[in-house]
Amino acid sequence: MGHKNRHVGIIGIGQTTYSSHREDVNQPEMIQEAVALALKDSGLKIDDIECVVHGNMELFEMIHQPDIWHVLGDGGYGKDAYRITTGGTTGITLVAAADNLVASGMYDIVMAIGFEKLQEGHTTGGITNMADPLWGRSLQTGALTGATAKDMINEFGEDRARRAAMRHRITLDKHAKLNPNSHRSFGLEYDQVEDLMDNSPKLVGELRLIHMCSQSDGACAMIFASEKKAKELSKHPVWIRDHITVHREETFNLFGHDVPELTHHYAARKLFERNGIKVPREYFDVFEMYDPSSWWGLDWLREFLLLEGDEHLRMIENDDISINGSFPLNPSGGVISANPIGATAMVRVAEAAMQIRGDAGGHQIPREVKHALASGFGGTMWTVLFMLEKELGWEEID
Amino acid sequence: MAKRVAICAVAQTKYESNMWHKRFQEMCFDVIEPIIQKTGVNWDEDNGIRNIVTCSDDIFDARTISDNAVTDAVGAHYRGEEKMAQDGINGIGYALSCILSGHDDVVLLVGHCKESQSESRNMITNLAFDPFFCRPIGLDYENTAALQARAYAAKAGITEEQLAKVVVNARKNASKNPYALAQELVTAEQVMNSPMLCDPIRELHSYPVSDGAVAFLLASEDRCLEYTDKPVWITGFGNNIDSYFLGDKVLTSNFAMKRAAARAYKMAAIKDPSKSLNVVEITDRYAYQLPLWAEGLGLCDENAGGRWIDEGGLEKMNVNLSGGMLAGNPLMIGGMSRAAEAVLQLRGEAEGRQVADAKRALAHGTTGPVGQHQAVLILEI
Amino acid sequence: MATYFGIAVDDIFNTMQARFRPEGAAGMDAVLAYDITGDGGGCWKITVKDNTVKIENTDDLAGFSVKTTVDAETFVGISIGKVDGMSAFSSGKMKVEGDMSLLAASPRLFNRFTPPKKGVTVHDIFATLVERFRPENATDLDMTIGYNIGGDDGGQWTAVIKDGKCVLETGLRADATITQIVTAKDFVDLVLGKLDPMVAIGAGRLRIAGDMKAAGIVPKLFAKFTPADAGEEQELIVLKRNISVNMKYSTGRHLGMFLDALKEKKIIANICPKCGRYQLPPREVCAECRCRVEDFKEVGPGGVITLIEDVYYASPDPLTGETRETPYGTVHVLLDGCTPDCTFWHFLKNEDLGNTKEGDRVQPVWAEKRDGGVHDILYFEKENG
Repeated sequence: MGHKNRHVGIIGIGQTTYSSHREDVNQPEMIQEAVALALKDSGLKIDDIECVVHGNMELFEMIHQPDIWHVLGDGGYGKDAYRITTGGTTGITLVAAADNLVASGMYDIVMAIGFEKLQEGHTTGGITNMADPLWGRSLQTGALTGATAKDMINEFGEDRARRAAMRHRITLDKHAKLNPNSHRSFGLEYDQVEDLMDNSPKLVGELRLIHMCSQSDGACAMIFASEKKAKELSKHPVWIRDHITVHREETFNLFGHDVPELTHHYAARKLFERNGIKVPREYFDVFEMYDPSSWWGLDWLREFLLLEGDEHLRMIENDDISINGSFPLNPSGGVISANPIGATAMVRVAEAAMQIRGDAGGHQIPREVKHALASGFGGTMWTVLFMLEKELGWEEID
Repeated sequence: MAKRVAICAVAQTKYESNMWHKRFQEMCFDVIEPIIQKTGVNWDEDNGIRNIVTCSDDIFDARTISDNAVTDAVGAHYRGEEKMAQDGINGIGYALSCILSGHDDVVLLVGHCKESQSESRNMITNLAFDPFFCRPIGLDYENTAALQARAYAAKAGITEEQLAKVVVNARKNASKNPYALAQELVTAEQVMNSPMLCDPIRELHSYPVSDGAVAFLLASEDRCLEYTDKPVWITGFGNNIDSYFLGDKVLTSNFAMKRAAARAYKMAAIKDPSKSLNVVEITDRYAYQLPLWAEGLGLCDENAGGRWIDEGGLEKMNVNLSGGMLAGNPLMIGGMSRAAEAVLQLRGEAEGRQVADAKRALAHGTTGPVGQHQAVLILEI
Repeated sequence: MATYFGIAVDDIFNTMQARFRPEGAAGMDAVLAYDITGDGGGCWKITVKDNTVKIENTDDLAGFSVKTTVDAETFVGISIGKVDGMSAFSSGKMKVEGDMSLLAASPRLFNRFTPPKKGVTVHDIFATLVERFRPENATDLDMTIGYNIGGDDGGQWTAVIKDGKCVLETGLRADATITQIVTAKDFVDLVLGKLDPMVAIGAGRLRIAGDMKAAGIVPKLFAKFTPADAGEEQELIVLKRNISVNMKYSTGRHLGMFLDALKEKKIIANICPKCGRYQLPPREVCAECRCRVEDFKEVGPGGVITLIEDVYYASPDPLTGETRETPYGTVHVLLDGCTPDCTFWHFLKNEDLGNTKEGDRVQPVWAEKRDGGVHDILYFEKENG
């Protein structure tokens, strides 16, 4: 692992509001909203952008090579243009791609755009289409599984596990209420834990409707610049320190037996090791996690922070993860509050960067944020993990 | 950019019209296996392949997250993987950035496409258009190409004879390329008398329905000699996108091509491309595109594509010795296949079609109906 | 009657008959019951059968196929698109009993409810008159414009224009430069452009007292009136299309051998030559070792359940488009002879859902007619069951 050729700063962020009702715009128009906001945020004009990176998952809206049409909204006309996708990770893969393209020296200023208009297709059906047409496609139900709930119930007892998952859910709902862009916030209160954990409709096993993320329309655009340009153009660039992508094989053969290591843990272990992060829970001031459901959000806290035993449950039970707690998790409200899939994972990085800038508005963490972690999830349990910093000058480890 | 990036190895399947006997997963491994054998590369956590760039398309593969379907086959289990969802030649440009950034030092690039899986590739490319206007009127990559062919013929005076020369030459070259699909020799008369596919595009003017896969191994200058003693250097890359609506995107303009080429030439310090290249590989889905794109690349003057063919430009500049896309490559990896041929030529491994003393090659790829997105790659040995 | 967003629950049910779409009800035989709680609520029963619909306002909801209980405000909100139905359901504001999939189909049954348009009133027009004043066209102008508007909705106003400012007074001034005399309805139509002023004057429906020459200036003094809900007037079109492209999926050798064996009631795994891992269904490459996997071995057919997924969410089968019947169970089974990470995924017999647990032994139940596909096995059932 060599050193990065040059530093890359995030200098512009634009998000549409997330909603299930965007009949008022078509796809390029929706993308244009995010692009215009990112340009405004950075103080740049579209002519300042050298290169555009575009991504989503083709099959959700059934548009082949959608970048060709979307050039009407993404401002790519006459610029270098890449289309790079993965799965639910797409948005954060776009950030990784923009980081690489700028750090390489090939481009000084790159804009990345992730979007999805999930109301234009059937989301769960679309996800099921990831499975082999001759086998798993007949068996899979989108990204829905009760396996993690079952494992947690087996490990921590039914009452404690179910309460923790619901408390996690309610905390994030409270965060979502502070974020004007979020698709939904129900106004949940902690005294509803028992009612919801028993009465919310079941999807699969103990995975209930209330635990599962929304299906949203929306777009996110971010602008990245080389260190020199970022310092010239932005009064508060946020620096990308490092990122790692860890995918897994085609099949979901990780439920129902002990798995040596989830990609979440593998990614965190490798990334923290090469950056000399000993105690991630203490190092990071905020974590924006791609949490498709409360069960996964809860379970993965242990994986990403390399925790042991029940510490992650205690973090929930002690409200450490709330915006005012010792380790704020998803002050944006997380994926469970808004999920335009191709943008979702980019929003994690964007929200983490806004926390470092200190301009997240109603959902700004009420103390200084210097170090942020953001994760993406997709495919058959894939992970992309990003580290962001307020200041340059971190220690390089070989 | 202080460092350089090398292509250390390349492998292709033979392109076939219907690879019914294989899943595309196996097609991918078919091209990775020879890369492993030739280079000894492995997936060691510290020194091996940590990042894989794939190229495929959800709609051709009929799979959401088409790259998820090949993670086993491309070795992406517990490694990084990112899908280039354009012609895979852009994956070379992207892999270049992965290495130059310092984030990676060895990148595997694998592209696949199986046009035969769908009932009709035109039904897939119809889905590239907006669902409100262009899709319902039935536009696809074939009939929009016919519009472009007609407009270009009117503007530059391209004749049936010139187009026939392109096809005859493609087949002649393809007959010497063991990877090519359409290897049967044809005469100019056969081309000019072949049935109309989509007026003015005739059957023999069109690339055949094709299946195939191609893989590259790229490494940083520091690491490449571990895998090869003949590194091929990536010295230039640029791509560019034009407008969407036909009309906004002027059919005969090479707007995106000129800009993509200008960036690649600048990076590679090429002043006059018509004099600086030993090998040229152009993605010509249809015969008329070869002279049109050649104009955009600056290999000849504007509107002089036909004369360039008549004056032996194809032979003099060693254009499409592989047979080109006309000899049959699937849509997503046409430009990637061009780059593969360029690498073989520069390494002196192109057998019966080898150019003597090839030092510098250009490979071109395009994405979209009528050249909306263009990519230009310069390789040197 | 209580209204929400300006609409009563009754408005929605009372228009259902007219909004019914027989083509959306093809093949449906169902009773959709609604218990709308709170002010303005009530109980309704919608019976759909033979492409017809019957709507009843009745407290007897017995015999429903699906019943929705929701408060009146949320119901109206969902009906007019102001509230997200899924969110209301998720948060527990809306509760559903019975066959959920019917509810998903219900939007097809009716054209969307559009609230009746509220007419523009004379007061609406005067409420925005001052902000619509265009001082750039009133330089050095000193005039008063009287409005004497008859009818129920009428009234008397005077616009005083001086020093580039416009002040609106109620009542008339005897010394007004001009005064318009017109009924309320005609005034609104004139402002909205539905009534031509010359026609109105000609017909004697609009009278102008005072300096007729000054009347010519008046239209330039104010920007055009646009009704407050003008932005919502545009009907947003959503284009619905089914996209289908026929596909020919190759099985390749590995999956092909496996599918072929199913016809003979055999389950075949392949085994990695390096790590010894079994793969089900067989795949060409071992993801762990990145090598070809060419050794095949018959396994099972019995095995131990390692995970049961009881699925309640009715999702479509992407291969057929049909919504799956719920609940159903999928199981991961460690077939006899396999390595522990090679579980086999299939359905659980419906009757065994609820009385089967991880660790139980199961066996496949084969379809009578087998053609080498996933449905050659109907499901797994408990052994000796």
